[in-house]
Amino acid sequence: MTHPNTGLETQASGIDLRKEPVKKVYVWELPVRVFHWVNVLCILALFLTGIYIGNPFIGSSVPEEAYYSNVMGWSRYIHFFAAFVFTANIILRVYWFFKGNKYAKTNPFKKAYWQDVWETTKFYLFLKNKKKHTVGHNSLAQLFYLIFIGVGSLIMILTGIYLYFEPQFESIAVAKLGALFGGDSFSVRSFHHIVAWFFIIFMVVHVYMAIREDWLKRNGTISSIFTGYKVDKENNEEEQKR
Amino acid sequence: MLQTKKRNTIYDEVLARGFTRRDFLKMCTALAATMGLTFKESEKVVQAMETAKRVPVLWLQFQACTGCTESFIRASHPKVESVLLDMISLEFSDVLSAASGEALEEAMQNVIREYAGEYVLVCEGAVPDDTYCQLGGKGAQEVLKEAAKDAKFIITFGSCASWGGIQAAKPNPTNARPIKDIVKNKQIVRVPGCPPIAEVMTGVIAHVITFGKLPELDQHGRPKAFYRHRIHDKCNRRAYFDAGLFAESFDDIGAKQGYCLYKLGCKGPTTYASCAEMRWNGGTSYPIQSGNPCIGCTEKDFWDNGPFFERRAKIPGTQTTINPDKVGFALTGVALAGVAAHAAATAVKKKIDEKSSEERSE
Repeated sequence: MTHPNTGLETQASGIDLRKEPVKKVYVWELPVRVFHWVNVLCILALFLTGIYIGNPFIGSSVPEEAYYSNVMGWSRYIHFFAAFVFTANIILRVYWFFKGNKYAKTNPFKKAYWQDVWETTKFYLFLKNKKKHTVGHNSLAQLFYLIFIGVGSLIMILTGIYLYFEPQFESIAVAKLGALFGGDSFSVRSFHHIVAWFFIIFMVVHVYMAIREDWLKRNGTISSIFTGYKVDKENNEEEQKR
Repeated sequence: MLQTKKRNTIYDEVLARGFTRRDFLKMCTALAATMGLTFKESEKVVQAMETAKRVPVLWLQFQACTGCTESFIRASHPKVESVLLDMISLEFSDVLSAASGEALEEAMQNVIREYAGEYVLVCEGAVPDDTYCQLGGKGAQEVLKEAAKDAKFIITFGSCASWGGIQAAKPNPTNARPIKDIVKNKQIVRVPGCPPIAEVMTGVIAHVITFGKLPELDQHGRPKAFYRHRIHDKCNRRAYFDAGLFAESFDDIGAKQGYCLYKLGCKGPTTYASCAEMRWNGGTSYPIQSGNPCIGCTEKDFWDNGPFFERRAKIPGTQTTINPDKVGFALTGVALAGVAAHAAATAVKKKIDEKSSEERSE
């Protein structure tokens, strides 16, 4: 079944799946799936409009007066609208971190967690490892989300709020937020623009990892983000003891 | 400068110069507008002018190009002569003094002694280590500390005195610092700009003199009346920005049409200054109106913020600026290549594992 050295599933070829004790596990609850897809749409909308705002790559090819079009105006409007949806979505996800099932949370304050991060890193480097079997995210994946989606979103939201309210510091006291990101407007903007690209890099790795998992384990990783269910075929794993 | 023994109120001064009360009231109203006050508050100005004494001002220059003084003496509202003669008594200024040498040094000591706790200290230029800047044989820091000790307020004119300026740009060989880094226990108004607009400078002085206290300051210590908005928020080319019409180079059709200069590196969106409202040379024009992108001269460390005519992003904690989209695109390419390589390695590994498990099961 599992290769003793790599932990890679090998039964996909040759062994009849139907003879295995197959168990369906409800991993991603509805709020998590909704969060995921709203987040996807928001990030795509925010990134496209954001890149345009930073470097307006299309425009009128013939000289015209300013009142004919409002391309930057609409880009910014969509960007701000999506930003508020994104923020609300993240807040709901944080709530579900506490409310949801065990797959909705992580706890990096345990020694075992960091040991498993190391073992999982070795697993991905094709080295000998003692990676724990997981149905949800493995510990390295949890760390990845914590940094990119957790810290990354926090930076984007805070710098975004600062930039959004820049013309009206009088009405809302967010001016001091800037001190967290270098103090001046240019530094805050730089943070916002650079961290935006981390989301795209995250996306590349994230999609690859999901496909890879599905391909090696045949456990329905891809369909699980639509249905919530994954297939678990291992017997001797900790998930079943609980 | 002359030592005034008996100090008149500003109203007395105005009358003594042959103006009528009507002229005086007009002056006060204009002054209120300059300070960013509402019309209602002009009464406060009148009251203050009737009771306030002329304020002694000590103007010190350190690592400076005298550009701020040059800007200041070109003020048109209020006219610099009325600021200088009616409202303040400029007791010491390197540039504007007729006296020189020891006489001037003595004049400075006199001001510090006679008007202790009353005078306003105006600073121009950054302050480096004493080796690099000396005034009358004394180190710049020593002179500053001595003058600051008994000052009522300090006004720092220009980006050098406010933020450090070009001499503090990395790697900052003379260890130049803004006034606020050396004098810590005084109330300081930052009036950045390279140079600041003349009317902004006189407006701040007028406020300090009129009310005897500092104007309302923002989180960086700049007067809100003049640094509350970004240039971008009040720009005369803003409509072209919102329309998505941008000049691509300095000589294309867009530049001719008066399109937004955003893609030519305009720093208006990150620059707090009142250029777009007050404009320069008595309200004639300002850089963006004249077709040059804003270089952000009122912002902290603007010399370290990359080329003037390109849009860049600064890597946090460094002085390195990059084109974030080019770098981001390249990094995404690297990520894709890495992912492809990992996928290939996974496929190979999978094949090997399958083969070995087949062998074992046979």
